[in-house]
Amino acid sequence: MTRADGDNGARARAPSLQARDRTIAITGACTYLGTELIKLLEADPRYSRVLALDIRRPDLPPDLIKTEHHPIDLTVPTVGSQLASLLRGAHTVIHGAFLSFPTHAASWAHELEDVGTMHVLDACAQVGPSRLMLLSTTLVYGPARGNPNWLGESAPLRGLPGSRYVTDKVRAEMQVARHAEEHPETAVTVLRFAPLLGPTVSNYVTRFFSRPIAPVLMGHDPLLQFVHESDAVQALKRAVDRDVVGPFNIVGEGVLPYSTVLALMGRVPLPMPHFVARRLYRALWATQIAATPATFLDFLRYLCVADGSRAERELGFRARYDVQRAIQDFLGVAPEDEPDIARAQG
Amino acid sequence: MTSPDDKKPDEGAADVPADAPPPADDASPADEREPPRRMRTAPPSASPYDELDAVPDALDPPPGWAGESPHDAIFTSPELWGGEAEVRDNDYGPPIPTRFPDVESVASEVRELERRVRARLTPVFPLEVRRNPPLRSILRRYSRFAMRDRSAVVDDMGRDPVYASRFMPALDFLYRRYFRTRCEGIENVPARGRAILVANHSGALPYDALMLMRAVEREHPARRQVRPLLEDEVFHFPYLGTFLNRMGGVRACPENAERLLADEQLVAVFPEGIQGIGKLYRDRYRLQRFGRGGFVKLALRTGSPIIPVAVVGAEEATPLVARFTWLARALGMPHLPITPLFPLLGPAGLLPLPSKWRVRFGEPVSLSSEGGTMDAEDRLLVARLAESIRTQVQDMIEHLLAARGASAFA
Repeated sequence: MTRADGDNGARARAPSLQARDRTIAITGACTYLGTELIKLLEADPRYSRVLALDIRRPDLPPDLIKTEHHPIDLTVPTVGSQLASLLRGAHTVIHGAFLSFPTHAASWAHELEDVGTMHVLDACAQVGPSRLMLLSTTLVYGPARGNPNWLGESAPLRGLPGSRYVTDKVRAEMQVARHAEEHPETAVTVLRFAPLLGPTVSNYVTRFFSRPIAPVLMGHDPLLQFVHESDAVQALKRAVDRDVVGPFNIVGEGVLPYSTVLALMGRVPLPMPHFVARRLYRALWATQIAATPATFLDFLRYLCVADGSRAERELGFRARYDVQRAIQDFLGVAPEDEPDIARAQG
Repeated sequence: MTSPDDKKPDEGAADVPADAPPPADDASPADEREPPRRMRTAPPSASPYDELDAVPDALDPPPGWAGESPHDAIFTSPELWGGEAEVRDNDYGPPIPTRFPDVESVASEVRELERRVRARLTPVFPLEVRRNPPLRSILRRYSRFAMRDRSAVVDDMGRDPVYASRFMPALDFLYRRYFRTRCEGIENVPARGRAILVANHSGALPYDALMLMRAVEREHPARRQVRPLLEDEVFHFPYLGTFLNRMGGVRACPENAERLLADEQLVAVFPEGIQGIGKLYRDRYRLQRFGRGGFVKLALRTGSPIIPVAVVGAEEATPLVARFTWLARALGMPHLPITPLFPLLGPAGLLPLPSKWRVRFGEPVSLSSEGGTMDAEDRLLVARLAESIRTQVQDMIEHLLAARGASAFA
């Protein structure tokens, strides 16, 4: 997470970014990506001001000079005018106020993610920033029988029918796509992150894989994909630095079958038929024991793997952690500590 | 107390105490050139104060600071660092004296990291427990046990080399001893470069895909791997689809096929699709419709040669005497195969009968002479080409059947 992590190349190739008066506004500053991005922006002399918009103050060191925190609640109906006055003069608006867990408070989540995106876009339409970025996930492609092994950015956003968590994100994407059509003066970038994995990030994936036992749908073993948390932050910083437009998949190197992921993590697979698993997970979700609702079992059944070659080509982003190293870092084992994994690789 | 390494010629840093916070301009872009985490290999010293003073700077690196430990490869290998933090020998950038993080700042960084980690703890499963799971040795032993037959690296499409090599002896037994396969025309398969094998599909189970893979891998001098494209019904079939995927099979769709061909691999397609597997024994070796000619469009778009392949023997290995449709629909299958042995003997009935197999590879058909990549949308052309390939495969099958004689098992 040092600053030396690869901005040199970006700076050399993009001389137009020497402007020193850029203001960046970030909604969802308390999310992992938001907080880490603020730290990088704070250290970067090219940006003069950072607006951290979130309900509470993000968990940052106290001595930041550029960053201002403004308490903003996107679920309040009158937030639009407040946002518009705050965003005036912002060069880039980064919209990342999305939940990292599926929640039982589905209507509140809908207000925050779907309607909150509408508020942000309305404010952007009034103010007209040069750039707008949406921090989305590859979940919006959805697990489907008909998915190819590697989904490009132009693949349809099927989402996950029955999951409001994924549906809200798909609708946010659709709103942003419509905004991009209606406001050509704003360059719109969409970053679709693969599920984040790492030692500090906390989301439904890290919770799922923290349990000692994991369900396996009998006979199904799809390929899974992760992106390491520090890679995700680097990709986000690069996207902020460069004037790229359009959707980008931000993914880690390589894929692994679900059963191999469980074996590497030392988790015990619990095979069960699909209809049993669905019922069990419905009960576990209702009693708040499981971290994910039953609809997420489709991710353990069908492929949902995104192709990051566009980000590599146009953003110059290449993940430093492949999937095995991301898993090792998540577990907190250094490669030299864990000769078993090294041997299995060889 | 001053640090000799902090002396800068024009700044007079001699009056800066070593324990003072680093100057503000220390965060200038100059230290971006510093190779990552070089302080890790700082030479060990007797007391912590010595360590503070003896921190080397970029001007005189200690001899052999990199490449001493085998783990240093991590810091210098370009594939781990994306080629950005590349460190070359004797290249330490312009001569700007650089401070290295001292022990205190490293310790405070660690404390900050710990605090951050604590702040993000989920109440469900604390990170301490995740890092040091109870019964760790058992978990590790379990992990080794669970990884025994699989590789920690699979290729783009999910082929697991360790898993595949585990089944090779069984497949070789089937290929050589059980089916006594005779392979003809293997010289028609190119030694390198992309190509599309177009084969007939038969038998109640896709044994022919596995045998085609084995035939090329065993008989071809270049030991090439074939990636069969599997129809959705097979690819998503429980266990069977997963097994074939780990062996090298890929779900049939244009994106996957184009990716494999762009990677200069051999792709096997079965254009009859599920109709080929589902044809009854009385219709054996009568080719079904060749899809919508998707393989021709693929060949035209990617400029790959088409190699017609005939496989004879699979129909008798798992003859399909009847199909159950209504029960299979309830189980989510296209049909439930009824073979002479299958429902009677249970799962053992899925084993094939010992028919004698022949595989014939035809002359490669290069479609580039027929037109450029523009013609992939020309439906009439695609249909005509697909029909001609189909006729070739049917002719080869008739030829092999005539050569085989009366008995399919001798």
